[in-house]
Amino acid sequence: MNLQFSGNEVISRSKTDVWNFVNDSNSVAPCLPDVIDYQIKDEHHFDATVGVAVGPVRGKFKFKIEIDPQSDGEHVNLNISGGALGSVVDVAADADITGDTTSTALDWNATASVRGPVATVGGRVLQTQAQRIIGATFSNIKTQLSNRTTAS
Amino acid sequence: MTATLGVPMKRKEDPRFIRGKGRYLDDIVLPNMLYLALVHSPYPHARIKSIDKSAALAVTGVKAVITGEDLNAAKLEWLPTFHGFDKQMVLAFGKVLYQYQEVAGVIAETREAAADAAELVEVEYEPLDPVVDPFESMKDAVILRDDREEKTNHIYHWEVGKRDETDAALAASPVRIKERIVAPRCHPAPLEPCGAIADMNTATGRLTVYLTSQAPHVHRTAFSLVTGIPEDKIHIISPDVGGGFGNKVPVYPGYVVATVASVILGIPVKWVESRTENLTTTGFARDYHMDVELGATTDGKLTALKVSTVADHGAFDAAADPRKYPAGMFGIVTGSYVFPAAFAQVDAYFTNKPPGGIAYRCSFRVTEAAYAIERAMDILASELKMDPVELRSLNFIKNEQFPFATPLGFVYDSGDYETTMRKALSLIGYDDLRKEQAEKRQRGDLMGIGVSTFTEVVGAGPGKHFDILGIKMFDSAEIRIHPTGAGIVRAGTRHQGQGHETTWAQIVGEELGLDPQDLLVEEGDTDTAPYGLGTYASRSTPVAGAALALAARRVREKARKIAAHLLEASEDDVEWKDYKFSLKGVPGKAVTMKEVAFAAYTNPAPDSEPGLEATYYYDPPNMTFPFGTYVAVVDIDRETGAVDVRRFLAVDDCGTIINPMIVEGQVHGGLTEGYAIAFMQEIKYDEAGNNLNTNFTEYLVPTALESPSWETARTVTPSPHHPLGAKGVGESPNVGSPQAFVNAVMDALSPLGVRHIDMPLTREKVWQAIRGATA
Repeated sequence: MNLQFSGNEVISRSKTDVWNFVNDSNSVAPCLPDVIDYQIKDEHHFDATVGVAVGPVRGKFKFKIEIDPQSDGEHVNLNISGGALGSVVDVAADADITGDTTSTALDWNATASVRGPVATVGGRVLQTQAQRIIGATFSNIKTQLSNRTTAS
Repeated sequence: MTATLGVPMKRKEDPRFIRGKGRYLDDIVLPNMLYLALVHSPYPHARIKSIDKSAALAVTGVKAVITGEDLNAAKLEWLPTFHGFDKQMVLAFGKVLYQYQEVAGVIAETREAAADAAELVEVEYEPLDPVVDPFESMKDAVILRDDREEKTNHIYHWEVGKRDETDAALAASPVRIKERIVAPRCHPAPLEPCGAIADMNTATGRLTVYLTSQAPHVHRTAFSLVTGIPEDKIHIISPDVGGGFGNKVPVYPGYVVATVASVILGIPVKWVESRTENLTTTGFARDYHMDVELGATTDGKLTALKVSTVADHGAFDAAADPRKYPAGMFGIVTGSYVFPAAFAQVDAYFTNKPPGGIAYRCSFRVTEAAYAIERAMDILASELKMDPVELRSLNFIKNEQFPFATPLGFVYDSGDYETTMRKALSLIGYDDLRKEQAEKRQRGDLMGIGVSTFTEVVGAGPGKHFDILGIKMFDSAEIRIHPTGAGIVRAGTRHQGQGHETTWAQIVGEELGLDPQDLLVEEGDTDTAPYGLGTYASRSTPVAGAALALAARRVREKARKIAAHLLEASEDDVEWKDYKFSLKGVPGKAVTMKEVAFAAYTNPAPDSEPGLEATYYYDPPNMTFPFGTYVAVVDIDRETGAVDVRRFLAVDDCGTIINPMIVEGQVHGGLTEGYAIAFMQEIKYDEAGNNLNTNFTEYLVPTALESPSWETARTVTPSPHHPLGAKGVGESPNVGSPQAFVNAVMDALSPLGVRHIDMPLTREKVWQAIRGATA
């Protein structure tokens, strides 16, 4: 089952700040919603355990996350793969980062490939839940950056 | 003593079931027993790159983790399929071929530890493109089975009838219809899922397997073939079984892995599957895509039938069809009608779906065939603007034509289709319903009447035609009468709710003049029951029922000698009359079977051995051909697509009836299943090969709330070759009802120009058809 999502966040921070943030595992990892635990592998790779509840499927999903910045400095890919309870979830997300020194737009798209029991509940709640999880990740990035802005 | 045959005797087994005293597989706990949990693939098609057991083995209580490579090393990686055309992986190695395929087994001290550790088995996959559509599979763009010499996804081509003659007859027919009719993949979903407890006694070298089995003896043979353990060292016990419907005929990987684990560890190992495992990995039903063509004259006389089918068999060809008939008994597709020419062909393909294709009442493709012909007859009637009832009547096989040889090879034993249909039409008030419908159509209301006048084929089978693993499909009975006139009756069948403990006792009671309450019926233990092929495909009464009657008659023949001895008369002067042995011409001079039984042990005839028992192995000369007329009346809500089945009448003719109350129960159960298939149930896959119906929130089973109120009636046309005239009824309602529902819905929608919708007729599908037609 393939699901597609997209969204947009406008962050009151410079493009450089946003770029640096999304290219740092230490910054991105806590932004995953319902994250239980994570281990940073390097600047662009980390593992995370996330609490997932999709309909009757509830459990701790383990994901491997790769941050893949593009050389143009305006585009970053995010590859997430993992699963649990007999399910496999692969997410390929990408974000266009455009802006100036005061405001940056984060336009993101994601395609999720879902297999196993999680896919079974797809027709009913999966689309909404997946949109919520992926959307919350980018929303949390905005919040974290905004908090930094406030703090600074 | 009065007649016991045809009496609505209450079921002897029910007191223990309704008091919670049934003993099902999961009720059995053996000392030191371990538990097996299976690891399943989330991918429908992928290479297995590695399997890491270490984390699972570190879990407290885990005793072993078994993979396909382990079985490969022990040469236990493959299961033979019942017909021998193919083989099936026990645990996947190299590649997984369908989602939820078994990849590894974890054995632990508790069920919870096994389940937790199964989560920790790390399998690295390389996903491959899945093929979930048989019409894509036939292109051979991706070859699914690397292990086969034939590099094609095509499994077999099977045909019956005369192709050229049929094509010519169709070409010459003034009226022709052609329709793609799909019988979608569904699942019987027995309330008790499948399971096994394997108990290897290392001291005796004997393996006892408690198994949810519809065919314990066949399973014993299959276990011996798979494991190499001599058959005398294998003891299969099938305890009470909570529904089967064909789902409990095959050998499943869980059975084999539990057995291997018990052999290795020398400790009993239990495996009981979950609901999801049952729905996603065990024997499904249908998945037949049928192109049906009918030819007729302008006044409705049938001229030809041609059916070309694409069958989706999943990843392995594990159907239980006999060797000579890879598409089972699909030749019954000519139904209740006379066809001057007919031809049917089936091409089967592998896909990335679970194997099976044997279940849900009628493993032998009879349900698909009956659905195809009965839908096509309604479509033809619509084309001819004829009442579908009159079209059927015009083309029925007439009473005087029996035994009737169909152009597709069957010889129907007996039938009286017109009488059964007229009884149904009279009981339902067909003419009044048509008047009501005409009035409602004037108002724009959607009311439909659907008729199904089906013939099915059961009782596999003549050994010359039908086999499993090469074993002829006979069945068996053994009767031992004790000194007091009580007795024990054993058969090679295994009931799963059919009521054999009652009906078998009634048959023997009728034949021997004994009280069925005094006859203990025992099935399911291969150490005690005679070898039989099991209970499925409505074969128990046609085959084992006949064996019981004939074994009883053997007992009676011996009893006659003893009776003659007691009556101090010649055997020739003793007759069996009114359930006792009487001296011809001497009123009042008689002995009962009870008296004879006592004498068999205390005062046997001088020239006979003591005791009173007999065994009979019955190989039927032909199948039996039950039939019936079902009528459904529906009202459809235009705004929501909701279908209300206002009435449903089933008039069955299953020949001589052993117990009408049990027949009634069988019919009610099968009609409820038919209703579910028609309106609710389908195992669907998305384009990525995900099974979308893995539990009862997504795969619906009707309750009393959804089920219509069933009306039933019967006619009786005995089978001429069965010792009792019985034909079998278990599958008739499932075979006969889906098309009655669908015909009724299509009849209701016909004013809108809707010709056909594939099952299940969900509200959404019906609503979309209405919207599409009225847009």
